[in-house]
Amino acid sequence: MDNPIKEKYLVSGFLTLFLINGMQVGMGVLSYQRTVVKSAGYDAWISVLMAGMVVHLVIACMYILLKRSNGDLISIHQQIFGKWLGNTLSFFACLYFVVLGTTVLRGYIEIVQVWMFPDLPTWGMAIVAAAFFYYVVSGGFRTVVGLTFLGVIIPIVLVPILLLPLEFANFINMLPIWKHSIVELALGAKETTLSFLGFELLLLYYPFLKNKELTQKWAHFGAAMTTISYTGLMVVSLAFYSEEQLNRTIWATLTLYKVVQLPFLERFEYIGISLWMFLIVPNIALALWAASRCAKRIFQMNQRIALVISLALMVIIVLLMPTRQEVGLVDMWVGEIGFYLVFVYIPILVVLQAIVLKFRRGSHEQTTTM
Amino acid sequence: MLGRWLLKQIQDKRKETLQDALQMFQQSSDFVMHDLSIASKGFHIAYFQTLIDTDRLNKDILPFITESESQTLEEIVRDIPIQAKEITKSPNDLRKKVMQGFIVIFEGGNPSKCAIVEVALDSGREVAPSENEFTVNGPQESFIESIDTNINLIRKRLPLPQLKIKEMKLGKMTQTRVSLLYIDGIVDKENLKTVEQRLSDIEFDQVIDSNSLAQMISDNQMSVFPQMINTQRPERVAAAIAEGKVAFLADGSPEAIFGPTTLVEFFSSLEDYYMSWHISSSVRLLRFFAVAFSVFATPVYVAVLTFHYELIPRDLLSTIIASRSNIPFPPIIEAIFLELTIELLREAGARLPTKVGQTIGIVGGIVIGQASVEAGLTSNILLIIVALAALASFTTPVYQMGNTIRLIRFPILIAAAFTGGVGIAFFALVTIAHLLQLKSLGRPYFEPIFPPRLTDWKDAFVRLPFNWMSSRPVYLRPRDKGRFNFSRASKKHDIDE
Repeated sequence: MDNPIKEKYLVSGFLTLFLINGMQVGMGVLSYQRTVVKSAGYDAWISVLMAGMVVHLVIACMYILLKRSNGDLISIHQQIFGKWLGNTLSFFACLYFVVLGTTVLRGYIEIVQVWMFPDLPTWGMAIVAAAFFYYVVSGGFRTVVGLTFLGVIIPIVLVPILLLPLEFANFINMLPIWKHSIVELALGAKETTLSFLGFELLLLYYPFLKNKELTQKWAHFGAAMTTISYTGLMVVSLAFYSEEQLNRTIWATLTLYKVVQLPFLERFEYIGISLWMFLIVPNIALALWAASRCAKRIFQMNQRIALVISLALMVIIVLLMPTRQEVGLVDMWVGEIGFYLVFVYIPILVVLQAIVLKFRRGSHEQTTTM
Repeated sequence: MLGRWLLKQIQDKRKETLQDALQMFQQSSDFVMHDLSIASKGFHIAYFQTLIDTDRLNKDILPFITESESQTLEEIVRDIPIQAKEITKSPNDLRKKVMQGFIVIFEGGNPSKCAIVEVALDSGREVAPSENEFTVNGPQESFIESIDTNINLIRKRLPLPQLKIKEMKLGKMTQTRVSLLYIDGIVDKENLKTVEQRLSDIEFDQVIDSNSLAQMISDNQMSVFPQMINTQRPERVAAAIAEGKVAFLADGSPEAIFGPTTLVEFFSSLEDYYMSWHISSSVRLLRFFAVAFSVFATPVYVAVLTFHYELIPRDLLSTIIASRSNIPFPPIIEAIFLELTIELLREAGARLPTKVGQTIGIVGGIVIGQASVEAGLTSNILLIIVALAALASFTTPVYQMGNTIRLIRFPILIAAAFTGGVGIAFFALVTIAHLLQLKSLGRPYFEPIFPPRLTDWKDAFVRLPFNWMSSRPVYLRPRDKGRFNFSRASKKHDIDE
């Protein structure tokens, strides 16, 4: 039903691993510890593990949806809800992607302002970022994927450094394991949602993958990598901090970097924050690409124009969030919307699609027998 | 409008005669024409004395003509012992050939035909060792300004009938001979077509050097990165063509250009293949480290000393502060001052004759550096960093890439002065985003990093042993993928056999 993507724009299937992982790891990982620990205490790592498991289920759901429709989110919506309602829903998804990218950008600007340059104006950074993302996304999907790939590879140097604070670790903190109720753990798992979000973009870039039916294992590998690294980081944090400290530390991961001391380097968080840009840029670029691609598919418009509109929207939303209060509020809302969109709406879509397909096939059979 | 068109039609109608062409030549004072007294007939000989080899004319041609008993033009031509000769009636042909060093022989005042014989002066230099791309081991020959000699140097290394050469003339004014070299059966047809198409589409009046041609046909002329490799060494071109690349040479230019290429390839030298693979791999890694150091060292110094001095441990900080305590400038001014000094020295050294250039190195490197530290203008730590960064940028084997590397650190330096580490990271990302979009003859420039192709890593950052390199690079899409049959080659190496 839709035109297939030209071969030269496709990317190798195994890059799904990097697309899933690169899109998930971003701003959330700097600060997810506090919210989880609030409800799950020292069992927070179990919550993170649980959230990761659910992500795998949702990925499986998405693959069911995508394989059945052999298209992307827009064609799935059209298939289930018809053209008008389907496109309206897709448009909401499009707005969600813009807002998702925006929260990442605003979050990073906030960290730069709090930790490094208090006087750097938000609007200045937002405009420079918009120009940069215009350049990146107008290079097409392959550029965005390339950036995502390098955005996973390059920051790997930051991972072993996070093990250095273990010098002061106290693993006994975590014993006894499982002292919280399932409900508390589940609440904690829900709180980590924002840091796991991003893999739902698979619904849009799926047609751009080579041998797309075979990419599911890579998607699961990518999500597993995220879950493992989040759980590992959570364990390190729980061993390093006390529960009380974690409750009061906003950016626990950055504070972990702060204690690292090498013979020629101290205060590693400056390097950490700078290199973190490599992690968050793919997030925003991919979200903007998805939003503009979505708009292109819905309105049959030029993707460049859609991109410019998305960027303008992004800058405006960033400017509407001048202080920490608004940032926190929007983060919470995006987390909430993302949670319902990904963990509730997508499974519902699977059921609806099954019903629609069955109904269609039934009516089709009827017409043929008549 | 109509009048001009009619006039043009009339001018075209009036056919140009040989006489007209000869008259046009006579307007130049180096065109000579004199009589030949053969069998009392009125033969004339004419040529550009600056284009022909007078020695050969006097020894090999004139004796045969004057001593012959010939009566007609055809007979005279038959007697001349030179291969490249013909009788022509077309003024167009005459004009082209005479400009290439042919002499004209004709009869009477208004000839209907004339004989042209090749006596061109070959005034090229000898094949000499390459001065710009020096290697310790390996062949030392390098290209010269004559395209035929250059092709000969390549053909000697690849004695294959499949090595095809396509010649074209480019440049309205210069009419430069440009030859496209490739091996049929290995080269990807699409790459070949791209080069051929782009070369023949060139609309520029003068083609002076192959490097300017390379810029004209590059994929993105806005990019600071060179997208094709230039070399003076015939064996490098031969190796490139044998891998499946396309090369071209321009007459009058001692450099060949080949492509498609990748960013990584600019950091490989031919000597990597002459030394053992352990050494060449280490040297290559050293070069990549040098590039990173050269680009980031000064910006990191500026960023750390301007904003992030907490990064430095206390003991080290005291050393740095001591060296900077008398300096009245912020780090960025200090850094730009030194960087510009190094660039000035380099440029002056490149423009001056070799012997004076050495003096410049001593004056610049030692006197200016030492004096500026003593005068309290720069810290000696920064002096060390800048000098090392400059040194590191010279390790790049391809000169153009070295220039690019030196250029891109200036914006990074300025970004570091304003936004510290964030600025450096941002510019690194901009560069990566640019490299990801860049193409060389339509092939990804950032390969094998992205798209990640592990098979091409064998000869990218390291150079693995030859018996591992059984296939040609993937990004070239060679039609014949294998260099040798790996399984057959490995069967020969069993235990006790």
